[in-house]
Amino acid sequence: MIELKEVSLRYGDGTLALNNIDLTIGSGELVYITGPSGSGKTSLLKLIMGMENPTSGTVKVLDKTLSELKSKDIRCLRQRVGPVFQELKLVPGRSALENVLMGIRFLEFSRKEMREYAIDALKKVGLSHKSHSMVENLSWGEAQRVAIARAIARKPGLILADEPTGNLDQDNAVNILNILSSFQQQNTSVVVTTHATHLIESQKNTTIIRMSQGTISVEKRGDGI
Amino acid sequence: MKKFMMNLDYFFKEAGRIIRLNSLSNIFTFLGTVLVLFLLASVVTGWSIASRLVTMLEEEAEISAFYHEDVNENGVLGLVDSIDKLDGVISVRLVNEAEAYNRMEQILANDAGVLELFEENPFKAYIEIRINPGMIDSIVEKVEGFKEIEFVRDNRGVLESINSIINGIHVVGYLVIVAVGITTVIIISHMIRQGIYNNRDQIKTLHLLGASRMFIGFPFVCVGLLITVGAGLIATFIMSLVIHQGYIAIGGTIPFIPLPPEGSLVLGVTTVLISVSLILGMVGSLFGLSSVRQV
Repeated sequence: MIELKEVSLRYGDGTLALNNIDLTIGSGELVYITGPSGSGKTSLLKLIMGMENPTSGTVKVLDKTLSELKSKDIRCLRQRVGPVFQELKLVPGRSALENVLMGIRFLEFSRKEMREYAIDALKKVGLSHKSHSMVENLSWGEAQRVAIARAIARKPGLILADEPTGNLDQDNAVNILNILSSFQQQNTSVVVTTHATHLIESQKNTTIIRMSQGTISVEKRGDGI
Repeated sequence: MKKFMMNLDYFFKEAGRIIRLNSLSNIFTFLGTVLVLFLLASVVTGWSIASRLVTMLEEEAEISAFYHEDVNENGVLGLVDSIDKLDGVISVRLVNEAEAYNRMEQILANDAGVLELFEENPFKAYIEIRINPGMIDSIVEKVEGFKEIEFVRDNRGVLESINSIINGIHVVGYLVIVAVGITTVIIISHMIRQGIYNNRDQIKTLHLLGASRMFIGFPFVCVGLLITVGAGLIATFIMSLVIHQGYIAIGGTIPFIPLPPEGSLVLGVTTVLISVSLILGMVGSLFGLSSVRQV
C-alpha cells in the first residue's frame, strides 16, 4: 500500500524534515503518526500525497512509485486517496453537502451514486442534519467532520488525515478517531497524524509511528490490522 | 464526455458564483465588452452597407468607346464582338445616335429643350462597355489598340475613387476588428485571471483531490463565454435599434442610397457578432486560464 525506502526530505532553506526513513504500511492498516511540532509528520503525509518530492529515496503509494509518475498519473493516484487536510480546505459559501460533493464530482461515480455517497458520508460523521448548513456556520469540530466526510465519500483505498483532532475537545477528538478507525474494517488503510498521544494509548490493532527530528520509530499493537 | 455533461449544471453554477464573487468588477467588464462589441457591430454594419454600395457601383462601372465614322455596320458588330471577348469585360452594348440623344434628354430633363437648338442629332454612336473596375487599365489599353477605335472615354477618376474608398473601408474595418479582438481577449483574460486569483484556495484543493485541469478550468471558460455572448447579444440588440432608426432617417431624407434589406442586415450583424463573441470569449478564457498552473 505505502512503502518508503531510505527517504530523506530537505527543504529549500536547508531544513531536514525527514532523515533516511524506511516504512511500510499495509492494506487495511490503521497508523497513527505522533510527535512534537516540526518532527516531520506533515512532511511525511505530503510526501505520500505527492505534494513534495523526496530529496533521496523512493516513495511507493498504492503500488505506484511516485517519482516515476507523470502529472496525469499523480492526479489519478490522488483520486484514490481520501485526504483530510490540517486546515480542512473546505470551500466557504457552500453547504456541507456541496463541499462533500465537490470532492467526488470528477470521480467515476454516477450522479445517483455521488449523491448517495455524499449523504451517506455525512450520516457516518453524524452531520446528516446539517448537510444544508453553510460550512462557515459550522463549529470547528463539525467542519472537521465535513472534511472527513469529503474524504470517505470518495471510497478511497487510503485515508490520510493530518491532525484531524487538532483544536477539538476530548469528546469530539475521540469521536473523530473512532470514525476514522472504523474504516480499517473496510480494508481501507488509514494514516492519521496527531499530537494527542493520550487519545491513542488505548487503541488496539494499530501501528504507532513516533517521529522525532525527521526520524521514526514504529510500534505495532496487536496484528496492526 | 458523459462525466462532463453530468457536471454541466455544476459548471454553470460555479460560473455564476465566480461572477458574483467579484460582481462590481465583472459588471464593468460586461459593460466594457458591450461597448467594444457595439463598435464591432457598427463596423460590420457600415461594411455591409458599403459593400452593397460598392457592388452596385461596380456593376455600373463602364467605359465608352467611340469608333471612326468610316467603320461600316459589320465592322462595328465585329468590334463589339471582339471587345466582348476581352478579359474583365462584363458586357458590351452598341448605343446608336438616337439612343445617345434620348439618354441626354433624360439626363437634362427639364432643360432638354436646349437640344432642339441643334438642326441635327449632335451625338455619335458609341460602344458601351461594362467592366470590372479593377481591370480598367488593361481593358482601356486593349480597346484603344483596336484600329477602328477613335478614342475611349473612361470614368477612371470616379472608378479609382471608388476603389480607394473600398480599400479604405477594408483597412479601417480590419484595424477595428483586430483592435476589438485584442481588447476583448485582454479584458476577458484579465477577468478570468482575477477569478482564478479569488478562487485560488479552492483550485489548490481541487488539484490535491485529483480534479483534472479541465474540470477546474471549465467554469472559468463558462464565465468568459457568458460575459462575451451576453455582451454580444446586448450590442446586437442596440445595433438593431440603431439600424432601424437609421433606415427610417435615411429612407426619408436620402432615399437614393441603396441600402440592403433591414432584416438581412440585422441577421448578418447578429450572426457575425455572436460568432465573434463566442470565439473571443473562448480565446480570452483559455488565455486567462493559462495562468492556472501559476496558482
